[in-house]
Amino acid sequence: MIRNLKYEPRVLMHTKPGKAHPLIQLVLTRKTTILLWLSVVFFFAPILNEVSAQRRFSRNYPATRNVRLQLLNRSGTVEVEGWDRPEISISAYLENPAANIAPQSLSGTIYIDLVKDNQGRNGVGNVNFVIKVPRLSIVDIETRMGNLSVTNINGGLVRAMISTEGDITLTNIGAGAVDAQNGIGDIFFDGEMRSGGHYRFTSIRGNINLRIPFNSSFRLVATAPSTRNISLGSFGNSNMNLLGNGRSVVGRFGNGSSTLTITNHRGSISFIRR
Amino acid sequence: MRVLMQNTLKRELRTKMNCGECQKKISVFLDNELDEITSATVRSHLALCAECAKVCEDFAAILESCRLEKPSEILPPNSQALWCRISNTIESEINPGPKSAEVQKSWFGRVWQVSFSQAGSAVLGIALISSLLTVVGIRNYIEPTAEDFTSRTDASQTTIEKVLSKVGLADTPQEARMRRFQEQRAAIEYWNNRVQQRRVQWDNKMRDAFDRNLNEIDQAVGEYTTILQQDPQDDLSGEMLDSALNEKMNLLRAFSDL
Ligand SMILES: [Zn+2]
Repeated sequence: MIRNLKYEPRVLMHTKPGKAHPLIQLVLTRKTTILLWLSVVFFFAPILNEVSAQRRFSRNYPATRNVRLQLLNRSGTVEVEGWDRPEISISAYLENPAANIAPQSLSGTIYIDLVKDNQGRNGVGNVNFVIKVPRLSIVDIETRMGNLSVTNINGGLVRAMISTEGDITLTNIGAGAVDAQNGIGDIFFDGEMRSGGHYRFTSIRGNINLRIPFNSSFRLVATAPSTRNISLGSFGNSNMNLLGNGRSVVGRFGNGSSTLTITNHRGSISFIRR
Repeated sequence: MRVLMQNTLKRELRTKMNCGECQKKISVFLDNELDEITSATVRSHLALCAECAKVCEDFAAILESCRLEKPSEILPPNSQALWCRISNTIESEINPGPKSAEVQKSWFGRVWQVSFSQAGSAVLGIALISSLLTVVGIRNYIEPTAEDFTSRTDASQTTIEKVLSKVGLADTPQEARMRRFQEQRAAIEYWNNRVQQRRVQWDNKMRDAFDRNLNEIDQAVGEYTTILQQDPQDDLSGEMLDSALNEKMNLLRAFSDL
């Protein structure tokens, strides 16, 4: 409603009276209404701006190529994306009651700890992050609740952990180590596995889907004891062994130069060829 | 004004002993082996510093759970902590970046330091042997192989492990596993108590998510326990129960300071 009020007078102000749309001309004749609208807009506009300023937090930090981002959120979504600039850009959208947020930059690491910053507070609204980091960054993000996504990262480590519910989506990742862990929710990994790398995916319930190139090379331990739903797709071969009546698949793909450990207590595991 | 004065007072008292000094003395403090003045300084620091108080609580809980067990079962007292220590080291090798202060002061890290200093030299020898056993487990973590779920069974025990377990110096794999479950359950009980105190402060959404997830983990724990009761040799369920109990502990720990 307020949006409409704000929008329409703007249209009017930017419209030359001679070329005005018939509808606008009709409105223009009712000058009193317009004036009333305008006064309402001018009265509320500064307040609206102030509210939205409180709800949005943004900060940039200069960063080295392999900076580390360490984030602990309480609830809300976190999106981290790699870019080609030597800086970290943090935008946070704070829902009411707005959380306290105080990032710190210490010896090559950006720390954001919303649990610590809001300890002892009774209700804290969701905080939704959009963060841009250099592609070679180490990304270590954790939340108590809410989705996590990481895109275009090729650094030493990507760690994403959700204590309870939420999906983890890791897209276009070429990190040397990946550790993704959630409670109830899906995990999707789309990326490449480096030789000598360590990859670990753990969930209590949900689907774990890995999309990796066919020339990947890994030693696998995949366990889905409850569903026994482990689908290797094109990655199934004679070096893979079923253990415990199909609760676990253990084996090697390619020359086995990286390690891949997948555990899904009450959900499924599947491989997709990239 | 009063708040301001209290804060100044707190800061003054706290500066008599810094957190590092305090945490170094906590184990000796818990053993009642500090002189009176130092003991009083520690006590007043703990009264004012939430962080050190938390460390102290953690220590006390662990010591308590050790005392509950028979003396022979305390040996080696720190196998689990040692495991965590080694696994931390591995993780730090994986993570080339600097570790956060929080990680370095992890719960198990503290426990390890204390338990180790408290263990006598006789225990030390056994702890070293146990660390050898532990390394077997760690190697499996880094290099998952088909032996992953069988590495702790009788068949794959090394001769030295077999000899040690014969003379009662080391556990059989089943005993080791049972002891580990006991340790995990003690830790879970400890964190659960803290969570019960905190949960009134969470909003409904947080409480519901927590409960749903805890319930899900408990169902998994139940399934593995049932299988193990029917077939104690089912190593896969043993490994999974271990993993699920760890998940439960981590969930409780994560919510204990919300
Ligand atoms: Zn302190």
